Amino acid sequence: MDQLASTQLLLSALVLASIYALVALGLNLIYGTMRLLNVAHGELMMLGGYTSFWAFELLGVGTLWSMFGAIALTAALGALCYVTVFRYVVRNRELAARLESNSLLIFFGFSIIIQNGLSIAFSADQRSYTYLNGIFALGDARVELNRLAVLGVGAAATAACVLFFRFSRLGLATRALIQQRDAASLVGINADRIQLLVFCVGFGMAGLAGSLVSMTETVTPFGGFPYTISAFIVIILGGLGNLTGGILGAVLLATIEIYGVALTSSAYRSILVYGVFIAILFLRPQGLLGRKMR
Amino acid sequence: MKTRIFSLAGIAVLLALCIAAPQMLDAYSLGVALQLLSWIALTQSWVTFSGLTGYVSLGHAVFYGLGAYVMALLWQSAPLWEILLGSGFAGALLALVIGYPALRVSGPYFVILTLGLSEFFKYIVIAVEAGLESSGRLIFGAPDPETLYYIMLLLAVVATLLTWGLARSRWGAGLRAIREDETAAETLGVPVTFLKIAAFVISAFIPGVVGAVWVLRTTYFEPMQLFSPTTSFTIVTMAIIGGSDRAPGPIFGAAFIVLLSELLWARAPHVYLVILGVLLVSFVLFVPKGISGQLAWLMRRRRA
Amino acid sequence: MNLKSIALRAATASAAMLLAATAFAVEPVKVGVGIAQTGMFAPAAIPALNAYKMWADDLNASGGLDVAGTKRPVKLIVYDDQSDFTKDAAIYEKLITDDKVDLLLSPYATPAHFAIVGVLERYKFPMMGSTAASVQLKAVKPGNIWFPTSALPDVMGPELVKLMKAQNIKTVAISTLQSPFAQEVEKYLKMALKDSGIKLLSSVEYAPDIRDMTSIVSKMKSEQPDATFSLSFPGDSVLFMKAAREQGLSAPFQFVLVGPSAAFFSKIFGKNLDGIVTMGHWSPYQTKWPKAMPFFEEYSKRYNETPDYLDVALAYMSCEITQAAVAKVGLDHDKLRKEISSATFDTIDGPVKFDGVSNASTPTMFLQNQEGKPQIIWPASDATSTFQKKGPWAN
Repeated sequence: MDQLASTQLLLSALVLASIYALVALGLNLIYGTMRLLNVAHGELMMLGGYTSFWAFELLGVGTLWSMFGAIALTAALGALCYVTVFRYVVRNRELAARLESNSLLIFFGFSIIIQNGLSIAFSADQRSYTYLNGIFALGDARVELNRLAVLGVGAAATAACVLFFRFSRLGLATRALIQQRDAASLVGINADRIQLLVFCVGFGMAGLAGSLVSMTETVTPFGGFPYTISAFIVIILGGLGNLTGGILGAVLLATIEIYGVALTSSAYRSILVYGVFIAILFLRPQGLLGRKMR
Repeated sequence: MKTRIFSLAGIAVLLALCIAAPQMLDAYSLGVALQLLSWIALTQSWVTFSGLTGYVSLGHAVFYGLGAYVMALLWQSAPLWEILLGSGFAGALLALVIGYPALRVSGPYFVILTLGLSEFFKYIVIAVEAGLESSGRLIFGAPDPETLYYIMLLLAVVATLLTWGLARSRWGAGLRAIREDETAAETLGVPVTFLKIAAFVISAFIPGVVGAVWVLRTTYFEPMQLFSPTTSFTIVTMAIIGGSDRAPGPIFGAAFIVLLSELLWARAPHVYLVILGVLLVSFVLFVPKGISGQLAWLMRRRRA
Repeated sequence: MNLKSIALRAATASAAMLLAATAFAVEPVKVGVGIAQTGMFAPAAIPALNAYKMWADDLNASGGLDVAGTKRPVKLIVYDDQSDFTKDAAIYEKLITDDKVDLLLSPYATPAHFAIVGVLERYKFPMMGSTAASVQLKAVKPGNIWFPTSALPDVMGPELVKLMKAQNIKTVAISTLQSPFAQEVEKYLKMALKDSGIKLLSSVEYAPDIRDMTSIVSKMKSEQPDATFSLSFPGDSVLFMKAAREQGLSAPFQFVLVGPSAAFFSKIFGKNLDGIVTMGHWSPYQTKWPKAMPFFEEYSKRYNETPDYLDVALAYMSCEITQAAVAKVGLDHDKLRKEISSATFDTIDGPVKFDGVSNASTPTMFLQNQEGKPQIIWPASDATSTFQKKGPWAN
């Protein structure tokens, strides 16, 4: 049982929590402001992952630099996506009437396009590279430097985003939009501009997360879906649209995965994850920190 | 009246064609037809619940997979018909057990909850199979494709009649009221909880049987594939593309996707899925009523 | 030159041309394949497809496939099963009835093989299997499918124990992915460990979508076993290896089930792959198989990466066996069935003869990566090198 108290496990849980928090953040922003279910979120991560992979392979540029490229690429894609498709979707009354299922399908379409586009462009090979793989010893724990980088960058980016949306003017406007859509437009908040911003930040954070993960895992065109599911679990646990709740959800999920598994057996990893998720929703249908749905 | 006779005659011809199909089609086309019928049955069953209530389920794969599992477990230990019914009841029973707590959850929470439930039971089955030291189940001596075709045809017809009947019944009206405004419906005396659970249970029966038939077709049971979330996503796609709250919808939706795939996959394996994705997006954007809704709209306009 | 001889010459010339023309118009032999080109299994399946393509191109460059004495060009007809084995039955039915192929090559992985056994049976169409390995294969009725693999779990278990005993290993820890093949290996390995004198310290299973193997590896490390087994598939093999390196797992004998034989694995781990033991019964460095090295070199040159020592070798063997049988008896299904069931075939993996559905001549072997090269280290009769203890992980 002393394994439970080890720094090794604590570090793993923190790394996992920070990546989940970052992945979930982008998803939460887009759902919160516009009620869109982005099931292509994991595929955006893979785009970020490929950016860092190729930057390293072709240009010899490290992930800590190429991650900015990944953010730029996915954020631009977010802007494109909003301007060409979703501006129309949220304005069209017929489409907006069933926004959740319609957005689910549109993003499902996007995920198929990205997966197979990547597969055509780069083949389905599993891609990986070695970067920052020195071992850092902390007491009796040993951890690869790239995992510490994931932890540091992930946590910093998540914190920066949460603070931005909590305290900046634009952030306040966004939160107003999340909480009271109609009232927000009455007080003169430019919803269109905010939605564009949210798409850029939401997609960009997914790209950043993918870029970080590419240091520790392999990148494939089809590797995004598990992350999409994890991200949804995190934001639902925390309450949709609640950014702080998302962090709590991420910590909870990482704790189940690392300590739940260490306590019981790794055979039950997925049963535990989904079981806790289901139990929480059965008991609190609006998530841990979510407000009651009307 | 005249259009009614026309559509009845149309349905009769279509059914006759379906019944005669195995005599006319080569083995491969029969396989495609079998696939088409299975998607029609699955999508119809989804519509009887999700289409009418507006509770979008992303978890229909769980009933499908469970039915397949029951078949893989019981194959050759009981008559085929009994196992098929048992598979259906297994699906319905699962829906009954999870129905009450799950249907208190609504909106996007429900969407992801059903996906989570489906994954949860997938991993339960994986753990059970691991505990039994079973490493995949191979099915020997499965019925020939023609037999499976007729069973699947029956399922597709029953599922279609269910959607059709339910949509016109008092229950159907109640379910639609839930979709429009659940709280208002409840105030007006609609037995909301009962109706939701009943529709959920009914819609879980058919996928159970379809899964059981399908595992006889593939002759190998492996949980990761038979409980795959892709099945759920495909069902929702077909329902929305076809138009999701009337009986012809799923038929159009399933036929469109299956035939399109047939046309494309062999010719352009990689590009085909990209095209499918583009089509999916365009459909949602430009044909939001679905094929059946759009057709009905066009016909009404012509008459006017 | 009289008129008669001119006419005669013209006649012979035109006859020769006619003959040449018919020779060119020889119907190609259609060879059908359904294999994952997209989806989850595509990364692993495409190298197998590459082996098929190389085989077909080589044949066409050398004048074609010898069909009982006549050379005919080969035309591959390939369909994508999208990594969904439930599509394979329909695809192989289409190949047989719609494309009317003359020969079939196999899809990728065990479930896909299982899914088409019924179709082959119904159309009495003989086909060489390749990348399938399961004890359940033996339950398949012999006659229309044969499996060239010798990495079958029920033999692997006892052989692994013998290999460990030879290395004086006393303790073992196992972690297993919850997936049919890995679990079969686990089951037979545990059975063989009983009463072997080797102590099983721990054995854990984990679910297929695991994200972090830190706790599994740290538990293993704390038990200090002589041998560790990661019965894993490529994705989680990577996770295991990374965690093992990170925590400095120091067992002298480290086994990883699926992954180490693939090209991408050595790209990721480089030197750190040295010392890892894995399953496999082919190595280009076995000089008693003269075809092995030329195949390795040709594949590496053509695709710019090394062939998977298990999957690609098996896929290519299935082509070689099909080719040899067709050369002898032509394309008739009954004759082919008889020929494949009874003859001995010369392959890149040495001679192969079938008993029922399974390969009766190739022994179960194990590979160890040594200085970047896959060496056969067991059994001694086929070894290309001897077992070496896993050294410390490189930085």
